[in-house]
Amino acid sequence: MLGGAQYTRDRCVTGIHGLDEITRGGIPYGATVLIGGTCGSGKTTMTMEFLVNGAKMGEACAYFAATEPSVKLLENIRQYTFFDMEMVDKGLINVFDMDVVYSWLGLTKATFDRDDINSLVKAITDIVNTIGVTRLVIDSVTTLCYKIPNDQLIRDFLFTLGKTLATQGCTSFLVAEITSAGAKAHWSSFGVEEAILDGIMVMGDIDRMGHLLRYLQVVKMRGTDHSRAKYALELTPMGVMMTPMLKWGVDTS
Amino acid sequence: MIELDQRIAEQLTEITLNSSLQVRCGASNSFLVTASLIEPLINEFQMGGVYISASRPAPELIETLQEIDIPTDGIQFIDCVSSALLGGTENQFTNISYIDSPIMLENILLRTLFHLRQMPTEQNFVILDSVNALAIYNEEKMLAEYLHTFINTFRARDVLSAVVTVPDQTPPSVLANLDLYCTDLVDRGQVVIS
Repeated sequence: MLGGAQYTRDRCVTGIHGLDEITRGGIPYGATVLIGGTCGSGKTTMTMEFLVNGAKMGEACAYFAATEPSVKLLENIRQYTFFDMEMVDKGLINVFDMDVVYSWLGLTKATFDRDDINSLVKAITDIVNTIGVTRLVIDSVTTLCYKIPNDQLIRDFLFTLGKTLATQGCTSFLVAEITSAGAKAHWSSFGVEEAILDGIMVMGDIDRMGHLLRYLQVVKMRGTDHSRAKYALELTPMGVMMTPMLKWGVDTS
Repeated sequence: MIELDQRIAEQLTEITLNSSLQVRCGASNSFLVTASLIEPLINEFQMGGVYISASRPAPELIETLQEIDIPTDGIQFIDCVSSALLGGTENQFTNISYIDSPIMLENILLRTLFHLRQMPTEQNFVILDSVNALAIYNEEKMLAEYLHTFINTFRARDVLSAVVTVPDQTPPSVLANLDLYCTDLVDRGQVVIS
């Protein structure tokens, strides 16, 4: 973006060390952002911290757990000092097991058709409306999309979900599991998510002489100027911390 | 009992908190120089800080400092050596955190920032011991870039940084960068004429 912006959108301040600086003040309100990352790259910790920081400001938050049971998730996240179980008890952070949501809706089939997808979007939207959710995470959308048989339906599902959440003023992180985060890799699991959603962040590892360094890169973020550099990321007890990756230390292979 | 170098304490009274100190020492006097630096920071200026230990394991350093009555409770040590030694991280000290390898330079910086966020003291220091130890593992250009980032990061945060180096074991371009970016110099380097 050249010159001074004429209009700046309101921001959802993530409170995550470094991320608000990278996005020049936070994620635009109502944006649906894809967090594509390899295993162990810190996706779950970062997205949970995003919710916790919202809850600290009194916002209602929702986490849809599709890759691990909520009990296990909460047990793992309790090691971080930023997390307080009281936020769950007070209803500021609402954790939903996707398996339970499927059961509510009677979605017991191995694959979903268009009606199933519509009822799933409606269920998520109802939860957002009822609780007044302003920050939402689906971890992971990849697991959910495995049940959707073709790219067109995945595209429709994500487009409708993103549009509906934006209408409700809900800023959302959709986690995608990817197998590699190199320059030639896709940023999403199915290759269709990245075109539809408002933002893409990639989380992965750089192999530096046999040691894996976590990194985060904001590839796309509609509605704001942002850095597109790679940032080294560390998971501390206080949450995620980031610093620009050394230019001479970035793997260019 | 070793005799600390009082001139270092005197020099410290003349610098500001956002200074970056290049501390040159020789291979044989490095402990004396670093101890002479830490002692006034802790006892005289009541500062807390982070000590990045890339030259030797932190437990060994703590024990040696305690032997000469320098309190180490207010210092958080980042040990870049012990993880490479099997069993090296097993000790009784709670103020040590470990980095897998000195090659993970960004993680050293982030860990330092993390510890500084938790420091109860208002005025803090960071000691990097040492550039020549990091030079064993890291390519020259990357190390020069890192030191540039390192020094400016702490200057911007009003944290006193001290970068220890043995000049004749440090790549010339890295040394030139230290000359350029550090605001002050403590020179206790030893020239060996063979």
